[in-house]
Amino acid sequence: MTEGRADLPEGGTTVLMLGNPNVGKSALFNRMTGANAVVSNYPGTTVDFTRGTFIEGGHTYTIVDVPGTYSLEPRDAAEEVAVRMLRDCPDATVMIVLDATKIDRGLYITLEVMERGMPCIVAVNMMDAAHEKKITVDIAALQRLLGVPVVSTTATSGEGVRTLAEQIRKAQVANLGGIAKRLRGEEPRTESLRACGGCGGC
Amino acid sequence: MVISSDARWEMVDAITRQTVTYGTYKQTLGDVLGDLTVKPLTGIPVAVAALYAFWSIFTSFAGTLVTDGFMVKLFDGYWLPWLQSVWPDPTSWHYFIFVGNPAADTCFEAFGMLTSGLFVSIGVVLPAVFVFYLMMTILEDSGYLPRLAVLMDSVLHRIGLHGYAIVPAILGLGCNVPAVTATRILETKKQRFIMMTLLALFIPCGAQLGIMMSVLPDLVGVVMLCLVVGFVIFGFVLNKVIPGENPEILVDVPPYHWPVKEYVAKKLWNRTKGFLKEAVPFVLFGVLVVNLLYLGGVIQGLADLLEPVFVTWFGVPKETVGPLIAAFLRKDLAIAQLSTIPMTTYQTVASVVLVTIYFPCVATFVVMLREGWKQLIAAIAVLFVVVFIYGGIIHAVGILLGVA
Amino acid sequence: MEQKITPISIYIGLLGLVTLAFGLADIFVWAGVSPGLQVGIIEIAGDDFFRWAWGGFIMACAGLFMLSGCTRVTTLQQSGKVVLGGALVWLIAGTDIFALLCAGIPAEEASPAFFNSLSGFLAGFAPPYTPAMVLLPFTLGILYLIRVRDADDS
Repeated sequence: MTEGRADLPEGGTTVLMLGNPNVGKSALFNRMTGANAVVSNYPGTTVDFTRGTFIEGGHTYTIVDVPGTYSLEPRDAAEEVAVRMLRDCPDATVMIVLDATKIDRGLYITLEVMERGMPCIVAVNMMDAAHEKKITVDIAALQRLLGVPVVSTTATSGEGVRTLAEQIRKAQVANLGGIAKRLRGEEPRTESLRACGGCGGC
Repeated sequence: MVISSDARWEMVDAITRQTVTYGTYKQTLGDVLGDLTVKPLTGIPVAVAALYAFWSIFTSFAGTLVTDGFMVKLFDGYWLPWLQSVWPDPTSWHYFIFVGNPAADTCFEAFGMLTSGLFVSIGVVLPAVFVFYLMMTILEDSGYLPRLAVLMDSVLHRIGLHGYAIVPAILGLGCNVPAVTATRILETKKQRFIMMTLLALFIPCGAQLGIMMSVLPDLVGVVMLCLVVGFVIFGFVLNKVIPGENPEILVDVPPYHWPVKEYVAKKLWNRTKGFLKEAVPFVLFGVLVVNLLYLGGVIQGLADLLEPVFVTWFGVPKETVGPLIAAFLRKDLAIAQLSTIPMTTYQTVASVVLVTIYFPCVATFVVMLREGWKQLIAAIAVLFVVVFIYGGIIHAVGILLGVA
Repeated sequence: MEQKITPISIYIGLLGLVTLAFGLADIFVWAGVSPGLQVGIIEIAGDDFFRWAWGGFIMACAGLFMLSGCTRVTTLQQSGKVVLGGALVWLIAGTDIFALLCAGIPAEEASPAFFNSLSGFLAGFAPPYTPAMVLLPFTLGILYLIRVRDADDS
């Protein structure tokens, strides 16, 4: 897939923004990159994707809005592209966007990405909608369980977007075995964020 | 480590069970209001209302109460007559510099360092800056300002600007000095340069607003309109012309909450102190230098030299050249000076707009220099071009409307 | 709380209509339909673009917010709109009162004193009032609405 790589960005850190369709991924993408987004066609396919940059703490991040997908077992052209992008950018950080009202659907793909051993950060988006439906998501608990940074965001109002950008550099490779243990209640609160000393519940 | 699909679903269920609870969250009025104020349909009227309240309180407090109610009386009724009576020798050069015109009966017209200089900085600008920063800080700390930025973001992206960039712009309405400092929140050189240039050009500071309000209250709207249009046009052009990146500005959007008194007081004090320390000495110094230049005949010389440009290209009378030169030191004083020259409405608007965009005051100049001399020189170059073009455009529009 | 029309909705609806009407009246008087209007203790001077055209627009929006929020007013979404509408009226009325206050504290321009006399200060608050100020006490009903909401969370 060399022709695919050529079109993906170089320089800075690449962040692949991944998630189910309709989780407000594009809104979040627009909030972070503003007017700089460039639409390009993924080579050899009919699928378009958007790419933009933002700068946080003096570091440039190139962020790619990966087509929405439910799993990494591709069933259509868009999902195919999503899977290929993950394969083509092995050094990238993956930002998984969840819909706060439907956490479970997005967690499946989250685990799939974690299995690939890529550094991850999770954005729980559409918090406003969840609040309207009286759903509470325990962000701290989720972060402790997954062992990667978890940030709650509301893309429409911009809440949490800044924090999300700041946390990208703390993205972690998750340990599925650890997650399973923590789920069973073993080794509680120990293996939290390594880069984020002692703030597993922040 | 790869696991089976069933195992994954099991984990998903377990995680969800431990982190998500239904029917527990109690949505608050704050959540709903937060939503309503960023949705354009309801958010734009609220933004319009916020601006209204801001402006109304600003004029009531700074204009009606402090300046017109007390300061004018104090300075014109007591300070000026006293100074005129005790300062020796009304014909001497030092009388001219410090007290100014011996025949003047208001501090506006006297133009001495201790008369106009003190009156403008303490009597007019200080209350304006104070109440401005007070409201600004409250808006900021309550969480409204970032939301306003988000709302503006959607609109401004269409012309390649960022909503968040209005924060330094709004700060600049108080004083350009802290606003230039605030451009540090922008990420790239290009953004900082554009913002600094636009600030210096099109954002009148609290001092200018205060003077405009007391000198030509009926025309403030027209002048502001000219400036906003210029801001948008040249922001767009600069963004296209200047190479470099213009990434999104990420700003913290906190939930709505009541501002904490201590923080507001602290911020307000820091900002007002910054103004007192950096701007006030320059007002006094500016009057001093302008008076010296007058005495030395420099202003007259420049006025003669530049007269054709001003008269034919900008369509303003010859007498405005002096104040325009003086505007380098204090733009607000220049507006006060302009108000004493008899002019048509068009000429007044044109010359006030010119003074505003013409040049940053010395204080702004100094902080811009602190951000880098190369940028400063580039900004000045842009400034000359913009003044020339925009002044011409206003003149052309004036001719077309038949008022010039 | 599923009932669509309650006394509170009717109250808010009427308040919204009156606010909207006042807002439009502000704008019309400014636009020159009438050279200043005084009905009872309400006065619309209409002389100033800022206060009457801009302020009138805000009053009209406030009225529309209240109207759009008046049905099923005890739900959070709807009461949010009503509160926002009320807040706009408070904003206008508040700035009107603040303006009177600021004008009332210093003495007359001609007089040698600095501070106004107490009677002179109070005289500044005599009628006529702007429409927003007259509406102010009536919008306090919205505060009652917030209280009701807090008591029985729907």
